[in-house]
Amino acid sequence: MEDLIRVALNAASASGVRQVDARVVAPDRFVQLAVRDGAASALTDARTDAIGVRVRTNDAWGFATTSDLRPQPIREVAQLAVRLARAAGRHAQHSLRVTDESAPRGGRYATRVAKDPFSIPPESILELLTAAEKSLHVDRTVKSGIATFSAWEENKWYGSSDGASFSSRIIHVGAGVTATAVRGANVQRRSYPASHGGDFSQAGYEFVENLDLVAHASELGREAVQLLDAPACPTGTTTVVLGSEQLALQVHESVGHATELDRIFGSEAAFAGTSWVTPGMIGTLRFGSDLMNVVADATEPGGLGTFGWDDEGVPAQRTPIVREGILVGTLSSRESAAELGLAHSGGTARASGGDRAPLVRMTNINLEPGDLSLDELLEGVNEGVFLETNRSWSIDDRRLNFQFGTEVGRRIVQGELGELVRNPIYSGMAPEFWSSMDAVANASTRHLWGLPNCGKGQPGQVARVGHAAPVARFRRVAVRGG
Amino acid sequence: MNVPSARRRHSEGEPLAVLRALPPGSTGDLRIIRSASTTIRFANSRVRQPHLERSTQVSLRLADGRRLATATGSDASPEGLRRLVASASVLARVAPVERKFPGFRSPSGRGPSGLAFSKRTAELPPEDATELAEEILGAAAAEAPGARIAGVVHVGHESLRVVNSSGLDRSTNRSVAFANVLVERPDQDPPVSGWSEAAHWDAAKLAPAKLGCEAAERMARTPPETVPAGSYPVVLRGPAVGLLLLFLGNLGFAANGEVEGWSCLRRRRGKRVAPASVTLVDDPRSRDTLPRSIDYEGTWTRATPLITEGIARPVVTDLLTSGRLGRPLTGHALPPEAPWGDYGPMPTNMLLAPGDASEEELVRETRRGLLVTRFHYVRVVDPGRGIITGMTRDGTYAIENGAVARPARNLRFTESILTALEGVRLLAKERRIYSEGGESVTAPAAALGSFRFTSATLF
Repeated sequence: MEDLIRVALNAASASGVRQVDARVVAPDRFVQLAVRDGAASALTDARTDAIGVRVRTNDAWGFATTSDLRPQPIREVAQLAVRLARAAGRHAQHSLRVTDESAPRGGRYATRVAKDPFSIPPESILELLTAAEKSLHVDRTVKSGIATFSAWEENKWYGSSDGASFSSRIIHVGAGVTATAVRGANVQRRSYPASHGGDFSQAGYEFVENLDLVAHASELGREAVQLLDAPACPTGTTTVVLGSEQLALQVHESVGHATELDRIFGSEAAFAGTSWVTPGMIGTLRFGSDLMNVVADATEPGGLGTFGWDDEGVPAQRTPIVREGILVGTLSSRESAAELGLAHSGGTARASGGDRAPLVRMTNINLEPGDLSLDELLEGVNEGVFLETNRSWSIDDRRLNFQFGTEVGRRIVQGELGELVRNPIYSGMAPEFWSSMDAVANASTRHLWGLPNCGKGQPGQVARVGHAAPVARFRRVAVRGG
Repeated sequence: MNVPSARRRHSEGEPLAVLRALPPGSTGDLRIIRSASTTIRFANSRVRQPHLERSTQVSLRLADGRRLATATGSDASPEGLRRLVASASVLARVAPVERKFPGFRSPSGRGPSGLAFSKRTAELPPEDATELAEEILGAAAAEAPGARIAGVVHVGHESLRVVNSSGLDRSTNRSVAFANVLVERPDQDPPVSGWSEAAHWDAAKLAPAKLGCEAAERMARTPPETVPAGSYPVVLRGPAVGLLLLFLGNLGFAANGEVEGWSCLRRRRGKRVAPASVTLVDDPRSRDTLPRSIDYEGTWTRATPLITEGIARPVVTDLLTSGRLGRPLTGHALPPEAPWGDYGPMPTNMLLAPGDASEEELVRETRRGLLVTRFHYVRVVDPGRGIITGMTRDGTYAIENGAVARPARNLRFTESILTALEGVRLLAKERRIYSEGGESVTAPAAALGSFRFTSATLF
């Protein structure tokens, strides 16, 4: 693969561009096994190859990619990348700057696994999924059950004209089950361990075994059925306690995306949107309460956002984003960091594959735990709701006005968890919401979740990112039953 | 850039030979997808992130009896195809039996001819694509000096060939062009913005200068004012109508919702769900969409009525769901390896019949309400009742006494798509294709009697 990278670098460099980098991802493998209502919903083994060549002239970037890994097609796309950059820079009025970084030379990163998920016989996995899916059907009102296993293997080689090179093999796995109970237009879903396909980690098959899907499935089915008869979540302004998974998504949408430097600078304005954060706010803005501490940590073992180097060859880092409620950092690439005047990139430029150019992306954006036990946190609630497992999510294009729905709510009365409530929705404005966080539970409630479907960019890129979050409490939140 | 062909190239494996050599008792279908495209993003009023892509994807769905599995790859050589057979065979041997799988279909019937396709669009050089972006930038900047401009131009081509072990061998070629533009003043408090977009199979029909001007004209010139949450009559411009229709397609006309019982239209087929002025059809052959002649199982596409003069029709299907539902095959198969398949086969080329009003007349007929240019981050809240939520974006205005009165700050809506549909009052006569390359919706602007906004945002 190093030879193919050299072909690309030589072909583009010969055109006199300022910088070239190339990434070969081969194979980029995705295996999904899913059982839906006793039948195979998707049994897929996908292996794709691609090389992406990115060039930088004085004024502009150009990126071109092919799935044909023979030398001549690679030379052609390298030259096309140069043509694109030249065309893009025709009317440029500003030169393009990037940070200087110390380049890795022959670095190697690999996921450590106890059991390689690609060597597990598929019949073993299907046996597990079939048993779990069957257990969801506790009642005839459970109209649909799905059990899913997913595994990704990304084999990457990177090289650049400034001498950087590294290779990596990263494995992500995950699994989950969902029961859907239906009565008329009343549709209730319960998922374990998380919605949107389950939970995911940079790990081996041992992660899936430890989820113990079968043991959880029947209880999940019963809860979906119970929700059909549960009262609607009460409407009003109340105290909300968010479970770890829902809080992870809250961090993702209202902190992670809001602090992506390309959004802050307007580069994603037309598609993903911008941010209510402006460059001048960094270091002074109160983002949330004193209890709010958020880091971008690409070094935490097991995270979907953990790697050796990002897709610009910048080493993985742990960067404070919010410290004691004050915005202190952002997610950045070499270009956006230079635009902000930083000496170095935060190392969060990631591409979803060899066929995509790197963008500013989340790594593992983690809300740090506090020091209360869960019981202590609940004791402070006279009346409120405990919300968990995401069902719907939406936020405006500046990442201010959000509305989330969860699969389930539980009333909290005098510090005790009570009856189920259905279709809970909570909403608010991001900075007000984070400022209302008055208790954060300790590390015993913290979990590092894997989110495999973060969309951004044109052409579209789907990134896998991580979020660790504990349980936390928020006051005066608008809640209603949908 | 030459138009890639789905037909055999040097070093490509012969798909029919591969299918003939499947293990005993196995059948299959194979897709070869070749695409080439250029995407020119622009932001901060300059071209950035230009992207050119050439790719090949092959996918084999193998049926070991009625046990199904899929393998995909990017290598269409004989060796690459053999690897697909090996991978799919391993999975299919252990797959649960799909009792309703009807088997792969033999070729029958005649396909459409003369589908709209633009060779020039398929082969547009990257420099010309960049020029289209520059035209948009120039027009928008002239109309709104000092504004920040962002958007995208995409041109390209996709060829799809499907063969199966029952002897089917069909191909389709599709040219695609789309562009959009955002004109904004982030320096104003609150920030203001305007938007325009269009898609076509012919890049020459994109009218880039018009898009730039339109987006600039839609940007507020005075600070937007807060409108309290509540239900209002609305005039939705084409992009907003298009997005609502996409969700209607997924929640009301996708097959899995019917199979699993959560479709919001499940109990309303054959019943009135909208005024008689509403006719919605999915027609992948139409020149007024982004045409293609076959689906991903090689079934000929055809016009499928979804709502006829306000009456809801059945869902669309592929091989598996037509078997499960006992309904006719409509030619809406997606790639079998598509993950996260909550919806299953869904409408891909929807066209909402136009009315006879101008957009100005829609506003004139609205005594008090809101004009919405587009929606952002729309998500499903409750599939059974068709409730979705999202934000307005890039040009929201208050309407008073039949005229656009002033800019409004953006609002969040949380509304049932069925309620929206029942409330259609008027449809505009001009319609446009909206797409970002995959499915497309061809829609006019629409006036609705009531639309529920549940909160306002700060800009």
